[in-house]
Amino acid sequence: MRRRVCRPPRLTAPAPEALPPPTLPPSGDTVGRRFLALHLPLLPVEATGRAEAPTLVWRAEGSARRVVAVEPRAAALGVAVGQSLADAQAIAPAVRPRPEDGGAEAARLEALGLWALRFTPLVALDPPDGLLLDITGVEPLFGGEVALRDRVLRGLARLGHAAQAAIAGGTLLASAIARCGGTVVPPGQDAVAVAGLPLPAMRLPVPVLVGLRRLGLERAGDVLRQPRAPLARRFGAPLVLLLDRMLGEAATPFRSLRPPPEFQVVREMMEPLITRGGIDAALSRMLPALCVQLGDAGRGVLRLVLRAHRGDGTVQEAMLGLGLPSRDPAHLHRLLESRLEALEPRFGFERLDLLAERTEPLAALQSGMVAGATPAADAAALAQLIDRLGQRLPVWRLAPRASHWPERAAMKVDPFASIDTPQGWAARPRPLRLLRQPEQIEVIAVLPDAPPRRIHWRGNWVNIRAAEGPERFEPEWWRDRPDRPVRDYYRVECADGTRLWVCRAGLPEASPRWFLHGVFA
Amino acid sequence: MNMTARFSPLDRSALLADLRSQVAGLEHAGSRPGREDAVPLCPSLDQALPAGGLARAALHEVLAVGELGGPALGFIALALARSGGTVLWIAPEPEAWPPGLLRFGLGPERLLLVRATRQADALWAMEEALRCRAISAALLFSPGINLTAGRRLMLAAEAGGALGILLRTDSAAPGPAVALTRWRIAPLPALEPDRPRWQVELLRSRGGAGGQWSLCWREDDGALEDEALAPAPSRRSRVG
Repeated sequence: MRRRVCRPPRLTAPAPEALPPPTLPPSGDTVGRRFLALHLPLLPVEATGRAEAPTLVWRAEGSARRVVAVEPRAAALGVAVGQSLADAQAIAPAVRPRPEDGGAEAARLEALGLWALRFTPLVALDPPDGLLLDITGVEPLFGGEVALRDRVLRGLARLGHAAQAAIAGGTLLASAIARCGGTVVPPGQDAVAVAGLPLPAMRLPVPVLVGLRRLGLERAGDVLRQPRAPLARRFGAPLVLLLDRMLGEAATPFRSLRPPPEFQVVREMMEPLITRGGIDAALSRMLPALCVQLGDAGRGVLRLVLRAHRGDGTVQEAMLGLGLPSRDPAHLHRLLESRLEALEPRFGFERLDLLAERTEPLAALQSGMVAGATPAADAAALAQLIDRLGQRLPVWRLAPRASHWPERAAMKVDPFASIDTPQGWAARPRPLRLLRQPEQIEVIAVLPDAPPRRIHWRGNWVNIRAAEGPERFEPEWWRDRPDRPVRDYYRVECADGTRLWVCRAGLPEASPRWFLHGVFA
Repeated sequence: MNMTARFSPLDRSALLADLRSQVAGLEHAGSRPGREDAVPLCPSLDQALPAGGLARAALHEVLAVGELGGPALGFIALALARSGGTVLWIAPEPEAWPPGLLRFGLGPERLLLVRATRQADALWAMEEALRCRAISAALLFSPGINLTAGRRLMLAAEAGGALGILLRTDSAAPGPAVALTRWRIAPLPALEPDRPRWQVELLRSRGGAGGQWSLCWREDDGALEDEALAPAPSRRSRVG
């Protein structure tokens, strides 16, 4: 056959008539990525605890009670998924039925997802009973994809979970294959694998599945061979999108359970850690190692997570947020101390991960400088103090705000925020202390709109020596509720010299109320 | 010992002065190398204090007369503002209001507030703050602390170099003091508008004498004025 050189080069291989898409190489974002999908068919049984007798789990679907998961021992007795509960109990009366517990399943699935973070930093849940691991690039650490898959399956078996695993170049494909039993799809063979998938494994909506069946289509390859436009018109765009995602031609979102850490230090324990002393000892070796990594990269940690894996597959996390980046092991250890009390080792932690989830550039301080002489050292010391205090107590600053309303003149801001005071702010005499809850007082004045002469406050009458005011505060209509009264503030001095800031809320003719709001020096 | 070599046994005053300086160096009370001197308040108060002002690296106790304690807050705000650096304000409910504090020279960018409702937390926060060299002064509202806690705070202040102030309401029996000084501040009726007057009593001062002053805060020049020293034209003009 002669080659035609005048034609423009094709971007994709020409599609043969018989097998249209399988030879298409995957394109887009998914090129080269590898995903391990896990399917836990017995999760409904396993999530509700260990079973002594053969067990099945049922779910109420309308008025029917349908079996959704069956233990192998129960399956041997003839019970199968999809039967009605009454049938199953008639077939095998010895099988114990349990109602489905969706909450426990979701919790267990998430715990397993956290457990799987030991294999790769990117793990996503695939509810209701699947996990997705992005294993791109990590498989050499475990000796290849098959070895990694076997290791994951062994780990799950040790935790008491039956699982099926599949590895493919796309999440949807891997998850579908895992549901069909599981295999490893070699890189680049995704399209072939998609073509062979039975339609039920693709988790299509039931009406679509029924419609495709009615057309005599049994496998994904049959559907792919159909012209796209009529397919989309008949079954809607989601089917086409799903096929594209399966083939890797459209991107599939991957929602990782945790953000991947920027730096991490992992320590596997020979003996489970049970005591606080043991955890401290492990941390005192892990923190310097992490700080060395950070130092080499010239960064400081802003968010530090300690992830403790317990022997029973559950994971506990202690999170630490810092105001300013740091890589001082002693400081980090001191901050972590308060968080460690929340950990429950019970049977012991078999693995500790120390992760720097967020970091920022941090220039090294020149060592050997006189302590206290540099502003940078002082700023670092202040940041460490705020971090320490902030772990236990609320710490804040008050920032000036362009508002004349007393409660809004200063607002709480983060202790690390920078504050600048605008010109002309607080130009008039103001109290040193503003009561958070103004105290209601009674006032005697000569005239309704005259300054107070005597005030009744905390049970006794106080004579007023001098008063200055009023200073009228109109409510900020653009922020306030419409019925907020105007306030007239007086600076008054009691007979003994105590100087107070009192206000009349409401106009003098409209039976106002009086409040004590502040204290002057 | 080298002191016998340096001074003849007959030179008692020099010997005593040297011993005093050595003891002061051991105690560090109110003196820390590398830090500028004490916080000045007003000439007549500074003369009465051995450090020439409110000593840094030490703890001071202020008793506030009256339920709201405005004058004591003013006195403290002045000390905090003149300490020069970042200030920590620890209270069960910090009601510090920057617009008023700014008029004493304490800008909002220097003020950090901490809410500590439990006394143990408050003492811990105070100790941490006093140990930190980036803090120039720390204020703690406390109903009264025991000797052990006070001693801990004192040591922390000596280590860190900050000015520590304990504020509590005045009571008939203030109890034993661990602080370097103890003050009682009461309001006095003002003679002129916007010139608050305070009755300031120095009840206890380690290594110094007590005293009593009536002071007037002049906001326009930012100074505390002793009325006994100041000419009193204001009184006459007011009478006339």
